[in-house]
Amino acid sequence: MIKKVLFILIALVFTFTSVDTILAAEKGNSRKGKYTYRNVYKKCHARGEIESKKPLLNPSAKTQAQWKRVFDKKKFEIFGCKEEWKKLSEQDLLNIFTYLHGHAADSPAPAKCK
Amino acid sequence: MNCMIFQLKRIFLFFFISILLPFFPDYSFASAGGSLHQDNKNQAPGRKMAIQATKSGKKWNTTDHIKHKILHQEFKSGEEVTQACIYCHSEAADQFKKTIHWTWTDLDSDPENLAGKAGFSINNFCISTNMAKDKSCLDCHPGWNSKRETINCLDCHGQNDLDLNEAFTDIQGFLDSADADSLEIAKEIQKDVMDAVSSIGRPTRKNCGSCHFRGGGGDGVKHGDLDSSMAYPNKNLDVHMGTDGQNFQCTRCHTTILHNVSGRIYSTPAATQRKSLIEDDSIPKIMCESCHSNKPHKSENKANDHTDKVACQSCHIPEFARINPTKMWWDWSKAGKKKNGKKYTDYGQWHKPVYKSIKGEFKWEKNVIPEYFWFNGSMKVLTFKDTIDPGKTVEMSRPLGSIENKNSRIFPFKIHKGKTPYDKVNKTMVTPLLSEPEGFWKTLDWDDAIVKGMEAVGQPFSGEFGFADTSYVFPITHMVAPKEKSLSCETCHAKNGRLAKLDGFYMPGRDKFKMLTIGGWSLIAASFAGIFFHALGRFFIKNKKKEC
Repeated sequence: MIKKVLFILIALVFTFTSVDTILAAEKGNSRKGKYTYRNVYKKCHARGEIESKKPLLNPSAKTQAQWKRVFDKKKFEIFGCKEEWKKLSEQDLLNIFTYLHGHAADSPAPAKCK
Repeated sequence: MNCMIFQLKRIFLFFFISILLPFFPDYSFASAGGSLHQDNKNQAPGRKMAIQATKSGKKWNTTDHIKHKILHQEFKSGEEVTQACIYCHSEAADQFKKTIHWTWTDLDSDPENLAGKAGFSINNFCISTNMAKDKSCLDCHPGWNSKRETINCLDCHGQNDLDLNEAFTDIQGFLDSADADSLEIAKEIQKDVMDAVSSIGRPTRKNCGSCHFRGGGGDGVKHGDLDSSMAYPNKNLDVHMGTDGQNFQCTRCHTTILHNVSGRIYSTPAATQRKSLIEDDSIPKIMCESCHSNKPHKSENKANDHTDKVACQSCHIPEFARINPTKMWWDWSKAGKKKNGKKYTDYGQWHKPVYKSIKGEFKWEKNVIPEYFWFNGSMKVLTFKDTIDPGKTVEMSRPLGSIENKNSRIFPFKIHKGKTPYDKVNKTMVTPLLSEPEGFWKTLDWDDAIVKGMEAVGQPFSGEFGFADTSYVFPITHMVAPKEKSLSCETCHAKNGRLAKLDGFYMPGRDKFKMLTIGGWSLIAASFAGIFFHALGRFFIKNKKKEC
């Protein structure tokens, strides 16, 4: 009986986590996310913090699970350009996550920022 | 007595030098090779001439595209950009559509067995484009959105990194969304597009390299002398293109007439005339001789006597793939394996893939020593219509030329080997469909992919296939090393030198001709005897005179 309850609980947690991830990824606008993400670095470059206008990390630099961890824990320091990241709204962050998650290394369409 | 000792010393010295001389037969060669490496104060004529031909490095244009009003519009598609280009450059599209860059076929070849990517040619990399029906191959076709409809002028002339195909897809997406944010982003992208469309120039190394560095589906896969390291090379990698030297763009040598870029190699030679720019300044292709003349070295240099038989590239490109590795082996027979039910990729040295489920096994090499063949500028390319002998290595391309042909030179090549699928019954190579939704890369089903691929090109397939050993050659002509690194004479003039496999002619240092050897040694022996008896005679005559 305990085994069954445990199994159902694990299955439920797994299902909710997966659904949560899928829903989270679906809520954002990937196309907008791509341009918001690129704009962060254009502005950062204009400010003189970085040498290139291109984002420091490509979507394919991490797996979908790794991107999820970064955004769940809000570990945005890996992206550099703190000033610009601070100014992003929750919707902007969601859009960026959707873009990065959708083109991660283990996604059907891994992408590099050209 | 003193006099006698002096005479004996002279005889001894004479003998000593005579005995030592035969051990330094390369003395004259060494001095010739050495002169290649002298400083610039005393330059070789070919070098002086080349410097004269290229002394004006300044680029100039007769127009500034930013000032053209027709380019100041909110473009919504690639086709609109092309229309704007053609508004001024009215003949450009008609010209370009007749070139091999657009047709991907060699119109000089036999129409029944049409050579070229979109023709019937095959290779041992991704095998075939299925006559341009495999869409992934069209990524490198200079049309918008990988379609062979409207020319994308910016593929070759754009000086901005913006991916315009992606930009137009996104503009359309944002315009369709119609919310304020999306419309604003669409405007921003359109501004970027406008900037890109106004940033126009002659093709740079980067423009040409976007396809030619990545031939075969990746960096340095096909050509051993063209990869991303050539986008911004230093002089050590290429003396002509080095950004710390002449900084040549590809167009410096690959000249253009009616948008036909010189230099392609198929069934007909890229150039039949070997002229210097002094003889004719409108030659269709710049070759080494065009700037360096056919006597490029100093007059006493033995290398000048080689230019009618040995291509400059043979000595001046000692190795290729000197920065990035190049693919040397592709075994399709190993494709199709899975790990845990999934397709996978294994990486090896230089983080290059050594196995891919969808493509098979690869081998990569760096600092590769070329192989050498007689080459008259033409290639014999295999097509999927040709009958093969699978018992031998199938030469999917091979250089044409021979020692008897006055236009042939000994030329360096990369040879890419592999195992490639063929029809066991019809004895022809097959053209599996690869990237399409029903292609091998999705299904890992050889039978189905070959059936569909052969249907696409209208060729029969017996249903039985195997894998034949194959080879494919590429002439090596880029990555010209500094003169200090050019090959020394003994690299080839030796028994097991680089030209050991080239037969049909006598080569000093490599070959032995018995009669000539006997004759030579007899002459040396006779000379020794002559010297000895002459010295002996003088010795006795002088002593006799003193006694008198």
